This record gives sequence, C-alpha cells and structure tokens, in this order.
Amino acid sequence: MIDAQDLTLAYGSNIVLRDVSMQLGDGELLAIIGPNGAGKSTLLRALGGLHAPQHGSVMVNGRSISQMSPPERARRLALIEVDSAPVTNITVREAVAQGRLPHRPWWRWNELPEDEAIVDEALERAQLTDRAERPLDALSSGERQRVWVALALAQRAPSLLFDEPTTHLDLGHAMHILSLLRELADQGTTVVIVLHDLNVAAAHADRIALVGKNTLLACDVPEHVFQEELLSAAYGAPIIVRREEGMMLAFARPPQRKGASG
Amino acid sequence: MTRFAVIVAALLALLAAIIVGASWGTIAFTPASILWALFHPHAQSEVGTVLWSLRLPRVAIAALVGASLAVAGLVMQDLLGNPLIDPYLTGTSAGAALAIAAAIAFGAPPGLYSAIALCASLATTILVGALSRSGTGLSVERMIVAGIALSSLFAGLTTLVILWSPSASVSLSILAWLGGSLAGHGWRDLGWATLYAACGLGLALTTIPALNALRLGTRRAQALGVDLDRTRWLVVLSACLLTSAAVSVSGVIGFIGLMVPHIVRGAVGHDVRWTIAAALPVGAIILILSDTFARSAAPPTEIPLGILLSLLGVPAFLYLASRRPKTI
Repeated sequence: MIDAQDLTLAYGSNIVLRDVSMQLGDGELLAIIGPNGAGKSTLLRALGGLHAPQHGSVMVNGRSISQMSPPERARRLALIEVDSAPVTNITVREAVAQGRLPHRPWWRWNELPEDEAIVDEALERAQLTDRAERPLDALSSGERQRVWVALALAQRAPSLLFDEPTTHLDLGHAMHILSLLRELADQGTTVVIVLHDLNVAAAHADRIALVGKNTLLACDVPEHVFQEELLSAAYGAPIIVRREEGMMLAFARPPQRKGASG
Repeated sequence: MTRFAVIVAALLALLAAIIVGASWGTIAFTPASILWALFHPHAQSEVGTVLWSLRLPRVAIAALVGASLAVAGLVMQDLLGNPLIDPYLTGTSAGAALAIAAAIAFGAPPGLYSAIALCASLATTILVGALSRSGTGLSVERMIVAGIALSSLFAGLTTLVILWSPSASVSLSILAWLGGSLAGHGWRDLGWATLYAACGLGLALTTIPALNALRLGTRRAQALGVDLDRTRWLVVLSACLLTSAAVSVSGVIGFIGLMVPHIVRGAVGHDVRWTIAAALPVGAIILILSDTFARSAAPPTEIPLGILLSLLGVPAFLYLASRRPKTI
C-alpha cells in the first residue's frame, strides 16, 4: 500500500510536478503515462523514496518513506530505473543475487542457502535459468530487462516500481515482461510502471496516472482517463480514442496531407 | 583455477616472497640459514642479527605498504567505477610530501618523519573531503577536482621548498624521500602504520556489499538500499588511512594502487570479496620483491623503490592493459 499526499517535486527551483496525490492498494497495477519531460520518472523515484519531495509525503504501509533506512526502504520497494550505463564483468546470477542485499546485515557477505533458493526462483520466473552464468553484457536488451525484473523479484519487496519496462523490446518480449508484472500484481504485489505506449498501459493497468502540465491530470481506470479532450490537452496533439474488441485504443490524428481527398 | 585456489596460490607465493626478501641483500644467506635464524630469534649470530634487525622489519613494512596501497586503490576504483583511479587521488601523497619536505628543510628529527607524513596525509584528505561536500554527501566529481588541484598546489610548494632548502644535502634528502624508499625503517615504525592500515582495512571490509552492488551502477545500488553518501565517506576514509599508513613509512610509492587491482581482477574476477582477498597478498608480494631487488641490484647503493616500480611497473601495466581490454 503506497499513499502519496500533496507531492511537489522539483529540481532546485524548477518545479516538475505539484499537488500530486494518489493511493495504491495491494495487488494493483498502475501505469504512469504522460508526454516527455512531464515528470513520470521523477514521480516514480519519489514513490520509491529516491527523490525527496519539496512538499508532501509518501507513506508505505502507514510508514513515511523518508523515515526509513535505505535497506528498509529496499525491503519494502523494489525500484528499477532506466540506467543506460553499461554493466560489465558480472554474470546474470551475480547481478540477480544483489537483490538479497537489503535482507542481509552488513557483516554477512555471503548468500545463505535460502537466499540462493530465492535467487534461483527469481531466475526461473524471469526465464533466465539457462542464462544464469552468462555475462550480463552478452545478453540482448530484452534479456537484460528480464534480469532487472529477476533482480526485483529476488528483493521480495511487496511493491515494485519499474521505469519503462518495455523500452527497446519487441512485441513478444514486451508482452512477456508485462505478463510477468501482471502476474505479480495478481499475487498481491503493488506494481507501478512508467509507460510511453498509451495502448499498452490501457491493456495491462488497473489504473492509469496521466501527468502533464506540471501536475497529475488524472488517476483513474483506463476508460475514464482515455478521453480525447484530456489526452489531447496533455500531449499537445489531437488524439483519437477508439474502443475495439473490448480494448481502449488511443492514437494521434495524423495531419491532413495536402491534396488528399475525402 | 578457482578463485579459492588463486588465493591459496597467492598466499604460498607471499611466503616464498618473504623468504626471498629475507635471504637476499648485500649479504646473501641461504634459505636454510634464514629458516634456522627465524626459529632461533635469540641466538647470537650474524644471520640472526641481520634477519631480525634489518631484513624482517623491512619485509614486514614492504608487505604492509604493498597490501595497503593495493586495497586502497581497489576500493577507490570500485567506488568511482573507474579503473584508472589511483589511491593518491585525494592528495594524500602530495600533502605528506610537502610536510616531509618542510620537516627536512627545517631540521626536524628523522624519527618524527613518519608521524608528520601520517598527520599531513590525513589532514589533506580531510581538506579534500571538506571541499567535496555536497549537502550531507560527498561529490565524487568535486573530490577528483579538489584532489588534483591540491596535489598540484602541494607539488609546486614542495618544489619551492627543495629550491629554497638551506643546502644541497637537504635537497637530496628530500628528493630521496620523495623517490620512495623503505631504507632506515625498523620495527618501531611499523606500530602506528599497522594500526592505521588495520583500521583502513576494517573500514574497507564493511563496504564490500555496497561496492559489489555498485557494480550494477549507482542508481541500481541506491535502489538496493545502498547508502551512497555513507559508502563514499567510508571508502574515502578507508583509502586515506591505508595510503597514509603506507606513505608514512615508505614515502611516495606509486603504481601499486593502480596496477594490483587490474592484476587481481584478471585472476579472480570483479567480486569485491575476492578482489580484496587477492589484493592483500599480491600487493605485498610485488612490494617485497621490488624492495628486495632495489636493495640487492647495485649494492651498496639502493635504487629508490618508487622509481624502480615506475620503471618496472609501467611496461608491465601496459602489457596487462593491452591483454585485458575489458578491465580498462
């Protein structure tokens, strides 16, 4: 359970988002959408306790995240951010095993047998068992995304925050990651993801948080957020919304070409 | 070879290096006579006197300096994610060099040099730390800039002290110290240096889990519960204590802190638990053997150890670097 109240998020004097409030229940999958630079990733970092709000608070299960020690925070929230820095000289298993770090006291350097079992299970759920001993930098983008999911699974945190889980992935790999996140939510994990693709968000999320114009414009079920006027205003472009075969679809209206008839 | 086997091999090689370091010198002894003297410390013999008064303290200091610089370089490189970082980055050696140059020029008793070097290197690191503060944390970028700037300033001032020193012999004494040497040190110098090195190593050991998490990048490490500010302070303090301990008994000896981490990563991988375990004996071995060569190659004179390591170390390092492009 995550409860954010009256958040104002800023970088120095530059306010990115203000008056953001949202509550997330156990087993809920929330997708944060919005135009580039709207503050989606900043909001995710704030929910994860890694961006201190200028105003407002984030509570996790009734406890302020700012009062938690870093390991306690990591035991309650797993945050996967976009980090383009290459990770080299580490195997998949070694990387995933780092997920047990918040559960170990600082004087214990080695994994306990139960840690190893959790790491094995995380690798299996992310379909990485056969790649466990491979160097991380030898994997494809899709496989690397799955490694970060496995790392978060090994953390065994009741909340999972994931920035752009499907970026650089083809449809098949994207669907696998999203199915895995959906499965986690169905098992009780609170999942928050930042997405660029509105239709993917509508298809997988229980609720959608739309950020834009320096605030939270809406946080509701996809049917209520997918309003042409609302989305067009947020993205600054004409957006058409359609419902086909039970799915909400949104796409930008292409500019009319000169000379086109009809 | 497994990582455990590499560590065992390194420890056996360290034992061999200690025997070589104790046997070789201006007067050469057989390993058998060295072993006999080792187990009969109170026997009045030439080999016993040389071993217990001269060779063993020197070998012990070499081991301490080599191991300390190796671990200091390793943890700093892992913290900053940059394999080209040297443990002297924080201005430790430059501050100590200036203080020693001034102490020699003003005629301070040689017995105080180690203490002066230790205090100066600690003070320099604290100054660099203060200049690098960013909120409650430590800005790595500011630390590099402050370390380089202060090192340049102190190097300039040291040159000035040499130029303005009262006599040529004083200038030569300063230059000899700057060249790095273990000559003239005994058991008495080992006490404080060992204490500081042990504290530095203890702090380094506490940062192992955080440094391993940092291999995934700073953002992921933070998300895994690593307190970045605390880790930075601990690593800088650890590296400061280790390099201060080394500088106080050996002067400025470069390259070990840069080279040993590369060697051990090539042998045991990048897991900090194993690299620290390997860096301790490997750093000690390199310095014991280098010092043995420095005092045995052209008796009765000694090649300054710092200069010898640069002469031998640079080609070896370049060779290693060209063989393992991924570690650079």
